[in-house]
Amino acid sequence: MKLARSFRTRLFAGFLLASLLPLLLCSAMLLQIFRLRMDAQADTESREQLDHVISVLDNLYDGFRQTSQALKASPYVAPALAQGQAESSMVYSELYSATEGSRSNAQFDLYDRDGNWRYSTKSLPIYDQLPIHWGILHAARQTDALVFSQIDGGEGNSAPLFQGAVQLKTFDGQEAGYLVITITRSNFYQLLDGTYGSQSDLLLLNRYWRPVYASSSSLSSALAPMLREQLLTGNSLHQEGDEFAYTVAVQEEMGLYAVIQRPQALNQDTRRLLTTVTAGSALVCVGISVLMGLRLSRQMFYPIERLHSAIGEVAQNNLDVYVPPYRDDELGQLAQRFNGMLVALKHNQEQLVENQRELNQAQIRMLQAQLNPHFLCNTLDTMKWISKINQVPQVALMSTNLADILRFCISPEEFVPLHREVEILKRYIEIQKIRLSDAFSFDTDIPPELEDCLVPKMILQPIVENAILRGPAGVINGAIHVTARGHGRTVLQIVVTNNGNGLPQDMTGAYAHRNRELSRGHLGLYNVDTILRKYYGEDFGLYLSAGPGGQGAVVSATLPLRKEEETEC
Amino acid sequence: MKQKGIRPLLSLTLAGLLTLTGCTLAGRDPAVSLYAPSEAQRLVVYTSHKEEVYQPIIEEFEARTGIWVELVPGGTNELLERLTEESDKPRADVMFGGGVDSLQAYQDCFTPYFCKDWDLLEPSMRSSDGLWTPFSALPVVLIYNTKLVSPGHLTAWHDLFSPAWQGRIAFCDPSISGSSFTGLVTMLRAMKGDQDQLLMDFAVSLDGRQLDSSGQVLTSVASGTDLVGITLEETALKRVAAGDDIALVYPSDGTSCVPDGCALIQGAPHPENAQLFLDYISGEDVQRRMESEFSRRPIRTVQDTEEHLPSLSDLSLVDYDITWASEHHSALLMSWAFYFGGGDET
Repeated sequence: MKLARSFRTRLFAGFLLASLLPLLLCSAMLLQIFRLRMDAQADTESREQLDHVISVLDNLYDGFRQTSQALKASPYVAPALAQGQAESSMVYSELYSATEGSRSNAQFDLYDRDGNWRYSTKSLPIYDQLPIHWGILHAARQTDALVFSQIDGGEGNSAPLFQGAVQLKTFDGQEAGYLVITITRSNFYQLLDGTYGSQSDLLLLNRYWRPVYASSSSLSSALAPMLREQLLTGNSLHQEGDEFAYTVAVQEEMGLYAVIQRPQALNQDTRRLLTTVTAGSALVCVGISVLMGLRLSRQMFYPIERLHSAIGEVAQNNLDVYVPPYRDDELGQLAQRFNGMLVALKHNQEQLVENQRELNQAQIRMLQAQLNPHFLCNTLDTMKWISKINQVPQVALMSTNLADILRFCISPEEFVPLHREVEILKRYIEIQKIRLSDAFSFDTDIPPELEDCLVPKMILQPIVENAILRGPAGVINGAIHVTARGHGRTVLQIVVTNNGNGLPQDMTGAYAHRNRELSRGHLGLYNVDTILRKYYGEDFGLYLSAGPGGQGAVVSATLPLRKEEETEC
Repeated sequence: MKQKGIRPLLSLTLAGLLTLTGCTLAGRDPAVSLYAPSEAQRLVVYTSHKEEVYQPIIEEFEARTGIWVELVPGGTNELLERLTEESDKPRADVMFGGGVDSLQAYQDCFTPYFCKDWDLLEPSMRSSDGLWTPFSALPVVLIYNTKLVSPGHLTAWHDLFSPAWQGRIAFCDPSISGSSFTGLVTMLRAMKGDQDQLLMDFAVSLDGRQLDSSGQVLTSVASGTDLVGITLEETALKRVAAGDDIALVYPSDGTSCVPDGCALIQGAPHPENAQLFLDYISGEDVQRRMESEFSRRPIRTVQDTEEHLPSLSDLSLVDYDITWASEHHSALLMSWAFYFGGGDET
């Protein structure tokens, strides 16, 4: 039989889920943790490198600041720039002593108040003239402090990249000129090379994130605008799928941002390797799930399938099946229960067949009894008339009664009202009284409301016959009473009492379930009991007991109380 | 029951998994939130100037004001079209560059502002309603290749119609280049004839050739591909200074001096910074710098022009009506396209 959702596939799916999900979850988490750890480590490294870079820049700035303060304080420099009132050797001496610590890091030039070059620590100035309304000198004019600005000096190692300037004033506050500090590419290289790792690159940006210096020339033209755009749009500097990560620190006084670009801690190759390992493990998981699923389902399915086919046999009405318990587990128990159920079912069915057979036999007997009964009735009628003609009234009465009884017997209805049953019983009594020469008295006590109760036909006659045979026939003043009583609204009890010989001890109690063979001689009672039980069930039937004082016998028949209109017959 | 119980659990786990993998990727960069400037410190500038012009100006502006400038370079018409598209929610604060006739044509995108030194600007070059602020005065000039053309052959606009130059005139498509459009209008003004006839004749002189960018005019003349060309003084002077074989002619029958400009965008996100920018570019320092470094004529009255530049008063100037030019911008371009295409299309 093909199933839409086989238990086997569900079992397999369950296994797959239970194994694959934790695996994937675990792999993803490991990958993430691994990555975070690597990133954190690389980040720390970058931070350390950046700290180094920034400390170098801090030192550089300190040198510049000391130089500018020394030159500002110098009594010769400002006047020399303002009026040319000093020997240039004096100015140079001041300039060289002031730039002692920083000279190797930058070029220092002195410009007069109009931006014309006057003195330099190098043999040649970088610019002969600088505009005072633009750029660095304009900025220097706005404040007393050192100002810095990037300049695009072009390619080449000697290209100036960064300028600092401070205005120099005479002691009376007159503008005298400017100290201009110029840092070239080679200066930056000498300062910063080795401060960052060999795998990383360094990028210096100005206050507005425009490129100043880069450790490799392509960075300033390509990377710097990209980083600036990312910053301005508020996106992360590190873009999705980017091979690099960035760390930033700032040197406030010079307005220099140092950016370290390092390759991603977890690069594409490592990630691919991890993904392959995960995919491999997942495949193994799938394989194991398939195997386990198949194995377990086979273990479960062998007994289930045997049960399944056994049930199929039962459905085909073959009850001679036996499912051997496979092993001592739940399924084994199930098989045992199934076997027990089959035994019970088989027993029930045999019982049913037996009942049916008995019923059939009774019907056959009945049919035999009805053989040509009309001929018998007619004969009895004829006998009645002949006896009347011949003045034999007993024969006439007997044949009349017998004919009535016979008619009643062969009438087609199975249930009759109680009063009719009693009527026929009286006919029978009349016959018996003639036979036994009035040796007993007979009376009935039927409440009027019970008279139309329906009872199976001819159930009283065998009981009364039994009472006559067992009782009054052998004693003086024998008496037979027939009493009907309703118990509640459901049960009708008809009791036949005689005062003859008591019952043998083994006869008292419920009549039910007695072997037919043992009932030989009491066939009438057996039949009545059988009829009652077959009609109404095992709760009903005959009950035998001894009469009061051990005299006589009491036979009571219990049957459901039904009125004529309630029956469907 | 069991099925129902498992499904939310499953989706929950998957969601957790995705979040776990996702959130670390999209994590916010501390550097960005730490160093990014606030909105009050920003300015977005659309510029059609060349990088060599705008770069020093912008960097100086940043250094002087502390405002971060975000630049979007592009062609004049391209940027103006973009402004029109964005007019509901403008991204830019300032349009920097483009002839003022082009700016005037897109006046709906701009809002008037009178810069700090408004009174010091050359009155003939100021916007009447403050819609734009002039940046440089840019006379239209004719150029010729000094190796292929003798001096004196080209003196005025009407010389261009000589059959000698037919098919050898470098002229950029006026629908692409604003300066080319200014040149076309200047020529129409200077020639004082029937406009359609002039356009038709000029189309014949071009012989169906137009260039795709204004820069190509100089290159084409300098390389000898074309003999003469129409361009702006500033561009031509720069190439002369670079040593190209080019000479300038101020047409004797008249030239125009339409400034390029800078305008505050209507609904700009950072209007105060934009106003600072307009004050700055029309200020003395920038104007001086432009004159000394880029041969761009300043638009301030008090400034002396460089000695090698002929003073504006010595030039014969046509009556160039900016308003007329901007109003007839589309119509003129359509006429031109019609005659340039051969005049027989419907």
